[in-house]
Amino acid sequence: MSKTGYVVLALLLMLLVLLLGLLVGSFETDISLLADTFLRYDPDNLTHFSILHLRLPRLVLALVVGASLAFCGYLMQAMVNNGLADPYLLGTASGASLGAVIVFSGFVPITILGFYMPSLFALLGALGSTLLVILLGYRKGQLIPTQLILAGVALSSLAMAFVSLLTFLSDSESKLKSVVFWSMGSFERAGWTTLMYPSLALLLGLLLFAFLQKQLNILLLGADRAQALGVQVAQTRWLILVTVSIITGFAVATSGSIGFVGLIVPHVTRALMGASGKANLWFCAFVGGFFMLLCDLLSRLLYPPVGLPIGIITSFFGVPFFVYLLSRKNYKFSS
Amino acid sequence: MLCFLLLQLLVSCGREQTSTQQKEEILLQDGLGRELHLPKQPKRVLALAASMTEMLFAVCDTATIVARTPNCDFPEGVYKKPVVNNYPVDYEQVLLLRPDLVFTVEGITPLETAERLKELGVLVYYLKFRTVEDIFKGLETIGEIVGREQQAKQLADSLRREVAQIEVRHKEQATTPRVLAIAGYDPIYVYGHSTVITDKLRILGAANAVEESFGAQSREYILKANPDVLLGGKPEEMEKGFFSIYPELRKINAYQQKRMYGPTQDLMGRASPRVVESIRELEGFLYP
Repeated sequence: MSKTGYVVLALLLMLLVLLLGLLVGSFETDISLLADTFLRYDPDNLTHFSILHLRLPRLVLALVVGASLAFCGYLMQAMVNNGLADPYLLGTASGASLGAVIVFSGFVPITILGFYMPSLFALLGALGSTLLVILLGYRKGQLIPTQLILAGVALSSLAMAFVSLLTFLSDSESKLKSVVFWSMGSFERAGWTTLMYPSLALLLGLLLFAFLQKQLNILLLGADRAQALGVQVAQTRWLILVTVSIITGFAVATSGSIGFVGLIVPHVTRALMGASGKANLWFCAFVGGFFMLLCDLLSRLLYPPVGLPIGIITSFFGVPFFVYLLSRKNYKFSS
Repeated sequence: MLCFLLLQLLVSCGREQTSTQQKEEILLQDGLGRELHLPKQPKRVLALAASMTEMLFAVCDTATIVARTPNCDFPEGVYKKPVVNNYPVDYEQVLLLRPDLVFTVEGITPLETAERLKELGVLVYYLKFRTVEDIFKGLETIGEIVGREQQAKQLADSLRREVAQIEVRHKEQATTPRVLAIAGYDPIYVYGHSTVITDKLRILGAANAVEESFGAQSREYILKANPDVLLGGKPEEMEKGFFSIYPELRKINAYQQKRMYGPTQDLMGRASPRVVESIRELEGFLYP
């Protein structure tokens, strides 16, 4: 199939999954009720309200978070020139987990002035952890990818040790459940207000790197060759780090840490569109969003009404497909 | 040649059965259907759940109760007992206390913990509760195991009479309030249909708004259930900790009519002899 064919097919599939996603929920819904909701919305009708204020923002959040993780995964793999990199490489997920668990453990109230503290602390944890990793990976005025990876692994382990300690010391079952649910990811808290920051961060990131796709593709060849070909490697790396930290921070803060998407979708993109496609970043974000939408739909169909934790689904369905792609003879990480 | 005469005494308790072998050996079958061979009638017991400790204190000679868990806070007498950790179980401390039998509740102590204790020579007896009557039968079962059948039966019967009196008051009422009992805010965990709370509500002429088993629920499910009463906290607590996270749920009847109540956690969550106290507390909420 041609690249345009893939794009058209993905668009059609996404629309189908969006439609199905809007039909699945506790209130029985059919197409005519769905149309009624959008054409003659009645705020006192609980089904209309659920479709517009619970299901739709949930789907949009899944789309945004999936796109964010895939996009950041692509950037990270380009930055460290390693196919094993993902958005959580800088300790973002574990830092965010630690932030959220501090709140769930009762050190901070769940809400302050109406703000949901687990998300805020997760964001602070994500950004704090990333900043520490960057400081550790910065030597003689340069970011050293290997040092970044090692620092990320070490800090992640440390943060997760604190998470385990707080979880172990948790004095109530409901606190434990909060931690477990959060650590596996969920879109259940999605609302129109929670969508604003992650969506804005993703949009700005996509627009910024739309102009840098060529540099990114060259960076995949390795820092030395990229430098020789005129890419400003140090500046591009900094730009990637800041972008990934912010976008991943918001994604993790709103939905918990969801694994594999940021790792596998960039590979899927390169397998379908080639390693140096001009629109790879956009396609990668698109596939990430679509994949997450599909996983959310599956999670709600398999375990209604609340849905299975999304991280379980992304691993169950993503990994076999990823293994299939990797086993294809013509797959290459870089051109 | 030595001869042993074994006499089996079957004790029925719902699905639970205990059979006693005369002389020394006693054969028991616990609430999970596990068979336990006790070498003698237990003289030293402990519980690995706070609700079970309350049950033991209600039935046993308190001198035979050798420990409490860190969560046990009722009755006052529990504080005189040494503490044994129940999560994770402190095996050494249990061995040090030399209990003849350990009581627990389904879902609190993992089966592998019971198996490990069995390897160490300590038997674990599980009880499970789905209804208020299960709790009373549980009291009788404990009485039979520790040799205090009379006291246990008297207690269970007096509690049954109190429940019957409450039930009569609500038998013919015109409306059935639909109640949602929340066990956790984030994620939303609710007391499902197969829990003791459902039976407490039935006694009070009310109904559990949840038809699923205990577990996490979505906001949409709760909107659809649209309960008349919420049990999960006082209005100001629920506003701060629940509705600020899930503002969409402000549409439910219970919120609109400000019918939100904070039951005493221990009464609500523990299947213990204080179940009548719990029903009375709920009655006060439902019919102020």
